[in-house]
Amino acid sequence: MSTLISSTKLHLNKREITFAVPLYITGLVAVVSVLISFLFWRAGSQPGSEGWISGSQSNPGILYSLAGFLVYLGVQSVATTFPFALSLGATRRGFAGGTVLWAVLVSAYLAFVFAVLTTIEIATDHWFAGFYVFDVYVLGAGDLSRLLPTVFLGTLSMLTIGGVFGAAWLRFGARGPQVIGVGVGLVLVLALIVLIPSAAEILGRFELWWLAVTAAVVIALSSAGMWSLLRSAIVR
Amino acid sequence: MTNTIEIDSVTRQFGRVRALDSVSFAVPEHSFVGLLGRNGAGKTTVMSIMAGQDRPTSGNVTVAGHDPFEHAPTLAQISYVRDNQRYPDDYRLHHVLRIAPNFAPNWSPEVAAELVEGFRIPARTPIKKLSRGQLSSVAIVLGLASRAPITLLDEPYLGLDVTARAFFHTVLLRDYEDHPRTVVFSTHLIEESASLFDRVVIMDKGRVVLDAASDEATETAWVMSGTTPAVTRLTGNAQVLSTSTVGGLMSATGFGALDSETRELAQELRVQIVRATLQQLVAAYGANDAASDRKEEVRSA
Amino acid sequence: MFTGEIPIYQQLADRVAEDILAGTYPEESSVPSTNEYAVFYQISPITAAKGVNLLVEQGVLYKKRGVGMFVAAGAREKLRVKRRAAFSERHIAPLVHEARLLRIYREELDDLINQEDSK
Repeated sequence: MSTLISSTKLHLNKREITFAVPLYITGLVAVVSVLISFLFWRAGSQPGSEGWISGSQSNPGILYSLAGFLVYLGVQSVATTFPFALSLGATRRGFAGGTVLWAVLVSAYLAFVFAVLTTIEIATDHWFAGFYVFDVYVLGAGDLSRLLPTVFLGTLSMLTIGGVFGAAWLRFGARGPQVIGVGVGLVLVLALIVLIPSAAEILGRFELWWLAVTAAVVIALSSAGMWSLLRSAIVR
Repeated sequence: MTNTIEIDSVTRQFGRVRALDSVSFAVPEHSFVGLLGRNGAGKTTVMSIMAGQDRPTSGNVTVAGHDPFEHAPTLAQISYVRDNQRYPDDYRLHHVLRIAPNFAPNWSPEVAAELVEGFRIPARTPIKKLSRGQLSSVAIVLGLASRAPITLLDEPYLGLDVTARAFFHTVLLRDYEDHPRTVVFSTHLIEESASLFDRVVIMDKGRVVLDAASDEATETAWVMSGTTPAVTRLTGNAQVLSTSTVGGLMSATGFGALDSETRELAQELRVQIVRATLQQLVAAYGANDAASDRKEEVRSA
Repeated sequence: MFTGEIPIYQQLADRVAEDILAGTYPEESSVPSTNEYAVFYQISPITAAKGVNLLVEQGVLYKKRGVGMFVAAGAREKLRVKRRAAFSERHIAPLVHEARLLRIYREELDDLINQEDSK
């Protein structure tokens, strides 16, 4: 019998942090966004004006605030849950697979919640007051066919990146995440050195699906890295 | 009797530290085995290997006919909670009770409920804030309610009061009747549990120094006490594990059959000879740095 | 509950034998199960079984399949004979030894025994 599904259930066992905390954070960001809008309003900007809308829609706060939490969630899903999973009798393989499946479920859940909230936001003419929380550029400016893959792939990337860092910590101690961080940084810098002469050309041809492909590669690499690190991690 | 667990010349190296050095022993089916020795003797390491949580550097381990590492059907038959078990952040008791049945096919909610009540484990306190005894209680709940055919209990007595210890034994023994299981206890608190063991394995510095049926473990072990010259003379050629002297008096713990001549001499020299208890024997092995070296000499001779 | 020198299964067998001799378990009555002994004395079930089986081998107890363990007919007599054989070694020898040390002579010893007996 595979322990993959059981491992997914183990992650879902902490219902509040999996399902409720992302909503709390989203709610908090919404409140902050509204407060910032008030600030603009008091400063003289008119709700509904063109400047107001483009200003509000350029606010990527929702992305950054959730990203931090999701990386943390990914780290702890591995770092503090793995020893307990082994004690319960999960295989390392089953745990790694179950963790990725859990990350997929959380990503789908968040994508769904965001789609619903965006729909409500647009249907209520931005909460009846011109507040832009979800109908923003980074989330596809109200276009669900862009919002769904963005939230899904973004969440999944954050969770799996967190997962691989957590696994590195289990495998190599504090040095593990440092090595990965420095390694990824080096690769990025090297890539930049190679690509920078043709940067203008590349940016000119940029298309959105490149990001999706990048996210998919990040997710695949992180998941594989997590599994290979966990395979030899020693629990003490 | 078949063996449920077989450990065959297992060595475990952590960097430069050799935590286990060519360890071999077997655990018969449905028996209770005490894994004894000082802190750092290698008890937890060998248990992790039995539980499939770790792999030997060399040697073989077989549990219920399989290498347990990454073998899900075998892992499902094992229950193992380490003495310093880490639980996920923010865990409370109900999280543990909710998830454990997913991994333990024989989980009994009744046994779990009885233990939780008997141990008085607080439900609302985060696991991180539980006392040492309460943590041990949670580990025992996992260990016994799983009804796992192979139950590995790592230091189950830490912090448990005398009532809780008796309660733990009672539930285990009562539940054994309909759900017999093989149990390995690792502990350095011996008096608490000695009468429960069918076999004992004593470890010191990563090696097995004694592996015997409980009845036989102390059969040839003795403690001699009397005046220093008298005890020294009597122990002359015997295997002495540890000695202590106070003033002109000496007490020596060792093993080996004593012939009637020696016993007569002892009476003459007014040296008292008594059979060593398990606790005394384990303490003697742990106290003597020479014990493991002597074994080496015997091996290389 | 049990102590050092003597193997635990032997101590359990002795204790059950004593209960039979004292009439706690009359002949043809049932005795607690192996597992009940294990729970009561907090010993391993295998050890408890070993102790009980010792008495079965001696013909003191017998098994009724699916029902339990019973005291055999004639068990008390059997135990008495066995204990009588050991009586001298276990009780008389130390008594005489101690009496010699304390210089308690025959007559005084008889008196002491009579006193104890009439209590």
